[in-house]
Amino acid sequence: MTSMPQYVKILLCSFFLLLAVLLAGWRYSQQPKPVALTPVLSKETEYCLTCHANLPEISPSHPVETFGCVICHGGQRLALDADLAHSTMRGGRNPSDLSVVEVSCGGSNCHNRLPNHEGDLYGNQIQRVQTSLQATYAGAIAQVRYAFGAQPDPSARMGAFAVQDTTLPTSTNITSLSIFDPKSEMNPAIRSFGENCLYCHLSANPLPGPAYAHLVGCAACHTPTANTTLEQPIHQLTLAVPYTQCNICHNRGNYSMLDMQFHPRQDQAVDRLRDYYQPIAQFTHCEWTLDCVDCHTRVEAMGDGDLHSSKKEVQYVQCRTCHGTLAEPPLTRTIISPNDLAVYLAFINPVVGDLQVGDTIVVTEKGEPVWNMRRVADGNFELYGKASRKRFTVPLVLNSKCQQKEDEQAARYCHTCHIVERNSLK
Amino acid sequence: MRPSFFHHLHPPTIPADQARWRFTLGAGGLSLFLAAVLLVTGLLLMFYYVPTPEEAALSVQTLTFLVPYGGLVRHLHYWAAQFLVITAVIHLGRVLLTGAYARPRRFNYLLGLGLLILILLLDFTGYVLRWDEGIRWALVVGTNLLKTIPPTNLGQAFYGLVIGGTEPGAATLVRFYAWHIVGLFLPLLVLVGWHIFRVRRDGGIAAPPLEVADGILLGDELRRRERIDRFELVRRETIAALLAMAVLLVFATFLPAPIAPPIGTTDQQVAHAQAPWFFLWVQGLLHLGDPFWMGVLVPLGILVLIALIPYVLPQPPPEEQGRWLPRHGRLAQVVTVVMLVFLIVFTLRGLLEK
Repeated sequence: MTSMPQYVKILLCSFFLLLAVLLAGWRYSQQPKPVALTPVLSKETEYCLTCHANLPEISPSHPVETFGCVICHGGQRLALDADLAHSTMRGGRNPSDLSVVEVSCGGSNCHNRLPNHEGDLYGNQIQRVQTSLQATYAGAIAQVRYAFGAQPDPSARMGAFAVQDTTLPTSTNITSLSIFDPKSEMNPAIRSFGENCLYCHLSANPLPGPAYAHLVGCAACHTPTANTTLEQPIHQLTLAVPYTQCNICHNRGNYSMLDMQFHPRQDQAVDRLRDYYQPIAQFTHCEWTLDCVDCHTRVEAMGDGDLHSSKKEVQYVQCRTCHGTLAEPPLTRTIISPNDLAVYLAFINPVVGDLQVGDTIVVTEKGEPVWNMRRVADGNFELYGKASRKRFTVPLVLNSKCQQKEDEQAARYCHTCHIVERNSLK
Repeated sequence: MRPSFFHHLHPPTIPADQARWRFTLGAGGLSLFLAAVLLVTGLLLMFYYVPTPEEAALSVQTLTFLVPYGGLVRHLHYWAAQFLVITAVIHLGRVLLTGAYARPRRFNYLLGLGLLILILLLDFTGYVLRWDEGIRWALVVGTNLLKTIPPTNLGQAFYGLVIGGTEPGAATLVRFYAWHIVGLFLPLLVLVGWHIFRVRRDGGIAAPPLEVADGILLGDELRRRERIDRFELVRRETIAALLAMAVLLVFATFLPAPIAPPIGTTDQQVAHAQAPWFFLWVQGLLHLGDPFWMGVLVPLGILVLIALIPYVLPQPPPEEQGRWLPRHGRLAQVVTVVMLVFLIVFTLRGLLEK
């Protein structure tokens, strides 16, 4: 280069600079064109759709134009670099993880709000879920500790995580749970229980393997993951929770008190009847033809806001809730306000058709609306499957040949006659 | 050819020997060029940067990702700033290893040292302006060093002066912004002008005096007497600037400037528990002991030592000027190499130790 005339050197260096400019321009042209979205709720423009335009809308209740992405997922709304954009996401891929759910699902006075519909006795879904047995696992912990002599009675003292009941008064007199630490337990059986059996509650990271795979937080129930590997994220929330979703946790095997180990199911269920959970359980026709959520209520699944010691305290819906007794039909309520909770629930999961003022729906003993079951013109009751969308006519005990006694209304008494044998149906 | 305004900023001629790349390394000129790039890109960044704690990091994200070519401008600003530290240090090293700090250039040497300090402070304040998790640790640790200055009241006063409160917050960001844009930049402009003026006033680039024996220029002297004119000088500067700009563009295109989530949006700051690279040596020193000694006194001591070199160490005589490693500058050369090794060793310590 020393022998080169200066002007040639300048030309050559200009060429290098031109190359660098072209390179920069080419690189810039490779960047994705930003796709802006200003959600109605946050009013803060975000650019997540630049890369995630093909993601299906998560649910009709959460339209992306209204919610956007950041209000639930967090993240850096302006960043077009994947690492930075995702660096502050709440709960990784799952913002409903209980550790962040208060902000992601409750954040803007959404699912943590107080009751705002007539007939809504509970409100604050997040507080309820976090104190529910499905989250705390307090029932199992208390039972095992009591069985092995670590506590004098089976009332809950510990949970899978420490939690307080922030909505006093409480019906159970349990105001808080401390964290259950298996390492501090003296009894090896309790330690073994802690080490092997704490992977299915709503805040637990599951053990590896398909037998354990489940999502956590709200998504555990509301994101349909049955028959998926969970390797690909599923961007869906639903109120039409099929029984297969409940089965992911409640029908995947059994914990054995003998060895304090979980034993995954080995059989391959060929139909729903044989797929029914718990090999020794008794069940009736409707228990394997309907979906779990068709009868069991929001409060049973998500809690009532109090800390409980046993499933028996929260799972209260019985056969009589829908079928009534010999003495009376099921409890009902006629809707008198368009702001009734039942109208709202029917609106967000529209399987019943238009539920409106004047309709009579079934309510539980605690006053919860069984909004998918209503009385029709001929006086009969019809039930719509929340997930299956099938219509069922519900027979009443009243005026039937049923011989039940008035004081024997628990499901086990109904099972005596109405049990379905596993092999009786093809 | 009639010299333009730009040509007139240069001396009519300079000695050919000392105008060579291998003597100057082009470091002073490159520093000036990088400063110009920083000025232009910095002005552009100012149109989008919002110096409030809530908006600062978001505005950096906006200009990085959403403003057309904003990312390129920011990355250019970043890389020009990093290279400026390097070229300024190389320039200082060249001056020390060629003995150019000797009288009459001692005062200009101090001006140059002042410029290096301003460059480091500008780099640090610019780094803090990101106001994201990537800078939090360095901001907290760096400013906490001020608190260690005894007596306590004085340290606290210094800290309060820099931070603008009892802990980093909105006032801190505004102060760092003001220092970066005005408080440090204006003195830099003045010192750059003064430095260049003193280069001319002190006789141009350091070169040995002409020796004449019996009225006849000796062989070497003939060569030494060769000079290049300002046109040739500008052509060389043009080549350097074109190449430097091309290199900057390549860096800015393929190696984006660091960016992190806004302060307070994540608990990942532990991953960034590191000083900016040009202060890693201070971080390395802090592992050795008392923060006042290691974080304040030792760096100040090194600075004083460098400043005193022209005044306390033997200076190469005029006839040894204009060449590398003059014999009478050995002590300064040894001190320079020792300090360089010291800085590299402690930078590595700072880099490797968490």
